[in-house]
Amino acid sequence: MESRLLRVNLTTGEMREEILPHSLFERWIGGSGINNWIMWEHFLSHDINCDPRGPDNIFVFGVGPLAGSGSGSGVKGRITFKSPCYGIFGDSAAGGKFPYMVRFAGFDHIAITGKAPRPVYLYICDGSAVLCDAAHLWGKNSAETHLALQAEHGDYPSQTHTLTIGVAGEHQVGIASVVSDASRIHARGGGGTVLGSKNLKAIAVQGSGGIKIHNPSGMLQWSEDFRKLIDANEAIYGFKRRGTLGAVEMYQHIGSHFWRNNQGSLFRGEEVRSDNWVKKYHKYSEVCSADCFIACDGRYKIDGTESEKSKKYVGETFRRPEYLTTGSAAGALDVRDWSEIAHWGKVTNDYGIDNQDLSCSISFIMEMKEKGEISERDVEELFGRPQRLEWGNMDDIEALLHNIATRDNLFGELFNDGPYWGALRYSELKGKNFMKYSIYGKGGASFTEEMRPFPTWMNNMAVASRGADHLKGIGLIEKFQRRDLSQRYFNGRTEAADMTIPDLKGASTALIENQVALINSYGVCLFHWMLDPAGFAPEEHYGPAYADVTGISRTPAELMKDGERICNLEKAFNSRLGLRREHDTICERWMYEPTTEGMYPGSVAADMFETVLDEYYEWRGWDKVTGLQKESKLIELGMEDVAEVLASDRALARG
Amino acid sequence: MVTIHTQYQSRFREITQVPGETFQLTEPLVAELATTLAKKYGPLMESLLIDKETRELNTRGTMYLDSKGRRIYMEDRLADGETIAFLVGIAGG
Repeated sequence: MESRLLRVNLTTGEMREEILPHSLFERWIGGSGINNWIMWEHFLSHDINCDPRGPDNIFVFGVGPLAGSGSGSGVKGRITFKSPCYGIFGDSAAGGKFPYMVRFAGFDHIAITGKAPRPVYLYICDGSAVLCDAAHLWGKNSAETHLALQAEHGDYPSQTHTLTIGVAGEHQVGIASVVSDASRIHARGGGGTVLGSKNLKAIAVQGSGGIKIHNPSGMLQWSEDFRKLIDANEAIYGFKRRGTLGAVEMYQHIGSHFWRNNQGSLFRGEEVRSDNWVKKYHKYSEVCSADCFIACDGRYKIDGTESEKSKKYVGETFRRPEYLTTGSAAGALDVRDWSEIAHWGKVTNDYGIDNQDLSCSISFIMEMKEKGEISERDVEELFGRPQRLEWGNMDDIEALLHNIATRDNLFGELFNDGPYWGALRYSELKGKNFMKYSIYGKGGASFTEEMRPFPTWMNNMAVASRGADHLKGIGLIEKFQRRDLSQRYFNGRTEAADMTIPDLKGASTALIENQVALINSYGVCLFHWMLDPAGFAPEEHYGPAYADVTGISRTPAELMKDGERICNLEKAFNSRLGLRREHDTICERWMYEPTTEGMYPGSVAADMFETVLDEYYEWRGWDKVTGLQKESKLIELGMEDVAEVLASDRALARG
Repeated sequence: MVTIHTQYQSRFREITQVPGETFQLTEPLVAELATTLAKKYGPLMESLLIDKETRELNTRGTMYLDSKGRRIYMEDRLADGETIAFLVGIAGG
């Protein structure tokens, strides 16, 4: 396995290529695992408590060995950094063509440090890299930047693919995102903020090389077998047309939506509760990458006949909104028209901003107004203008999006790091505690799904290394009530599939965090696992493909340990930053306010929260009192070097 | 004889072309409901609903809930008047 890392120091302009040693893959697999290690090493020689918006922060892009290898398993690139909005470990994935084009250009990872004296972009082409002036791109949104770079570099030696930031990143808004090829977004944690703080507007790449495969015939056979499994899965046929919008009706059925700042669990409005998206808006399906057998991407083009409100957006075309875009608009903000929801997806991409933290910041202030907590004078003070703060009014919502993305008034400044920090700052400003209206989990990160009936999900929100999120320990065994998976992974026990009891919920989080870490390190798409064409066991399914590509053979048990090791490194990063058990928490509403509708009314997290958290630490082999890792666990995982660092930082538990 | 109502979403609705329907079953068993649906709608429904190897209800990308929100299994008995929802098993995005 030969893998190249491009190191870029923006302060000095120095660029250096490194061959990553084979041993690194045996320990960290690739993709997110190696990204994490690059960041870990960086902060051994730089202050980990540095300002995430300062030059000492690092931004790592990486792609795993299976991405673009012909496995057909989809492609995910990953960015890793210290999060500016949550102040903890940060990472985020996105699919598309950019990740494997980086490989075709000769690199698997890019590590960016320092700060450029003026706006620049990084241009990589077939093994060479150069920093270019970006003055003409500054001020453009992510789509305009992408198109300008495509026009500049053309289609030779390959099409130009990009990572860009929008206006939000330029303004160093804490929840700014990085956009891949103008339409796929590394949304969470503030990666766009880090790039903005470094004056790096974009990375453009062209590559005409290939990827070296250790055993090409084995890989082709694996790939063909996988394609047959996917073709035989009838549920995937439906997913191709809907993507994650297929969850809208299912969530409506069980009551898992996040309505009006999570005051409710169901969408209102006939239009958004139904399958009208597919009937009225779906124009055609697309593949997000050439290395995907599912092809779940879709595109709309609004012609103005879809609804009265769609007339505002005639001619607009973009990717179909996925579930969380819909959850943030139709749910958090009660927008009831699909054309407006689709538009919301497009404008948040254009600004380059995370729609989860954004919508929860806006829904916070809307609920405050609704509950009479703020007066017209307060509104005037926040916005510098009269502002209706009316649920579902997309024109108003878009104005508030602009305020946060540009920090152009008090509201935008207070909430640029999301709803937790916004609510805290506003509470301090007004001398009154408004935190009960703020929806967040670990790190202050927010998330627009109803999770109170699901103890595994509530645990995910409290422990995820990058702050509250579903894509680290996604609670599928519980939500889909997969008794078969519970039995397989927990010695015949079925409790992990029963959401009414706390048993095996912490264990499920730990199990799936390890599996997801593995998938993210292979560089493939989570949906190829989640839709389960191959048995929901990434340690078994992808192991042979990983061996075919890299020449590194690992048993399923070893791969599960690899996943666990990767999770432990993320945990160690946060422990160095001072995070302990008390930081593994969730907001007041999720903890204490019962759900009132849906299939599981009366649910609150508090009933099981601490029991599940205890179990999570037990299954992790971590100390229950402090939440810290134990030396014995790190030694078991071959992480003695990490244990040493934690011990010197007084962030290691005895035992 | 029991009366069972069904609700279909997503791919299930594409195959059945109706949002839901009502069946009279001689045996109040999920297995009979599954067999009835497979017979009525053919191989696409059978492939979506029934795991070819185990002959259990297919768990891959699909979910079947009773009116209390509990997943059902082939061996489960169905109460008269019960409603079963046929859903996709997908989350996040």
